[in-house]
Amino acid sequence: MASARFETRRLTSDAMFVVCAACTLLIVTLLLLVSGYLVWIGIGSIDLSFFRDVPTGDVATPGGMRHAIEGTVILLALAAAVGVPLGVAAGVYLSEYSHEWFFAGPLRFIADVLTGVPSIVVGILGYELFVVPVSRWTSNSVSFSGYAGAAALAFIMIPIVARTTEEMLRLVPKTYREGSLALGASKAQTVLRVVLPSAFGSISTGIMLALARVAGETAPLLFTALGSRLLTRDPSEPFPSLTLQIYTYATGPYPEQKKLAWAGILVLLALLFAVNLLIRVVAARHAATRLGKV
Amino acid sequence: MTTDARAIPSAPFSPNASGGRADSLRRSFRFGDAMLGLVCRGSAAVIAIMLGALVLVLLTSAMPAIKEFGFGFLVSSEWRVNELERPLKDAAGNVVVEDGEIVMETIKPAFGALPVIYGTAVSSLIALLIAVPLSFGAALFLVRVAPTLRMAGPLSFLIEFLAAIPSLAYGIWGLFVLAPFLQTHVGPAVKSALENVPGLRWMFYESVTIAGTVVERPIPITGRDMFCGSLVLAIMILPIVTSVSRDVLKAVPRTQIEGTLALGATWWQSCVAMLRYGRSGLFGAVMLGLARAAGETMAITMVIGNNNQINPSPFAPAQTMASLLANEFAEASEGLHQASLLYVALVLLVMSLLFNIIARRLVVGKASPAGH
Repeated sequence: MASARFETRRLTSDAMFVVCAACTLLIVTLLLLVSGYLVWIGIGSIDLSFFRDVPTGDVATPGGMRHAIEGTVILLALAAAVGVPLGVAAGVYLSEYSHEWFFAGPLRFIADVLTGVPSIVVGILGYELFVVPVSRWTSNSVSFSGYAGAAALAFIMIPIVARTTEEMLRLVPKTYREGSLALGASKAQTVLRVVLPSAFGSISTGIMLALARVAGETAPLLFTALGSRLLTRDPSEPFPSLTLQIYTYATGPYPEQKKLAWAGILVLLALLFAVNLLIRVVAARHAATRLGKV
Repeated sequence: MTTDARAIPSAPFSPNASGGRADSLRRSFRFGDAMLGLVCRGSAAVIAIMLGALVLVLLTSAMPAIKEFGFGFLVSSEWRVNELERPLKDAAGNVVVEDGEIVMETIKPAFGALPVIYGTAVSSLIALLIAVPLSFGAALFLVRVAPTLRMAGPLSFLIEFLAAIPSLAYGIWGLFVLAPFLQTHVGPAVKSALENVPGLRWMFYESVTIAGTVVERPIPITGRDMFCGSLVLAIMILPIVTSVSRDVLKAVPRTQIEGTLALGATWWQSCVAMLRYGRSGLFGAVMLGLARAAGETMAITMVIGNNNQINPSPFAPAQTMASLLANEFAEASEGLHQASLLYVALVLLVMSLLFNIIARRLVVGKASPAGH
């Protein structure tokens, strides 16, 4: 009797082991299938004209996406110009001033919660804060602009950058701070010359990750940057972005434009993969030099 | 940060410093500290202001709709953007005719969020039903088996990379690969298999009233429906739920596992003990997945069919809060329509804040918090 029960337990266990392995296999194959398909079709659709040309207005020969690539780069630069300093400084606060008052704990929580706000809601906030007031001001009908888009992207970046910075600063040994203070350095000097530089590598990888994430965002730009088919460098106008252009082309009826959308997705994925890989390399090298020094 | 660095003397400490020099040094120290404190506190305050602004702006701009509809908005399923003219009917249901002309009545635009709340809830729940068991199974494998096979590193890297793929990419895959596949293969197969099962007819037929008579007609299988939306959502939340629950299970003390094994538990029984030990964290992982599924926009907009009506069939097109916003907000004229959309956005925000707060409370300290 007892051995029969043992036998069932063992069989159940073996069966569940197989189930767990199958789950992992299924997830990995499913996701590889999806991304592999995207890459495969993307490679078939991409060519030099994708990077070189601007839209022609002709649906049979739609040109390229140079305007959208440049637009995304400019949007990211603007968003980073606002989001990175604010995010890093807030991260320094969370890590170096965390003893202070009752502010740091709830703030960390708020930053975490903000990373989970649906990006479409951020887009709507950008519309209400930057598009509507500017329209009233300039008495335009609706003033979609690159600035509004960049602001929405910065909104997404700030909490992510703040939390990563905090995590990375926490990894800096406490003895570094104590040593610096003991040598007579002020708190500002300790933070700016000792703590931040020793976490520089990991903080910059965190920033790159945040940038890669917002580079793939579409929803926050729908009602802020709006998208454009012109090669514009003036962010006070409706502004092109790679993701918006991909979305427009993919949901449109023309096969040649769909091809461009596939190519655009490939570029996004390549960017993402490059950043992830770079981060791995940088992190590994950083860890190695650290070990060598200490 | 650079403006700050300038506030600090280039030679901060010199042994010869004496008298006035030490004083000025101390003053510049104090100034530097004050500046850094100001910048950091200011930036930290920005984060709090961001959340405040988010809630406040949505609340004020949704006010017209909140005043007009109140909480009834949440349970009303009407969504009429334009005024509607229709023949006036009397109590008996007959068309009123005066002077040989049919009397028309005008119905005001009306808005209600029930269909999109239903769409969001159902699509997210189906996605969770598919994704959560798979994720838990994979998480167990990653924690208990993969390390012994030296596969934990690569597998984890893969899953983290896949979690970062933009939703636009999943949307395009869903639109051009999954939806056509469901339309041509899965949909018809399921239909022919289940059509004649008693009690399941509602999945494939809908009743509509045409000219006063109720007609039953088949729901056209387009592939872009609730089912497809849920599948895409499930695929999208798989990486995040897996990686968070992996981190939760990793935090289960080794002694717990060893204890169960010492008591004679099989591999699976000790896994069950692990799951039980980490249940609050695992629930947090599920909530994170739910928050992500509910707020997901681009992918779902492309595959769910965008029909603002409640239909119990999974093969009928539906609409979620996020997809409604993505579809209509740009074209909405100012006034009640836009205010109603903002009301929907507010509901979506409150909902995702709730899910996130619950999730963070449960996962706190058990999983990597930054990032997604």
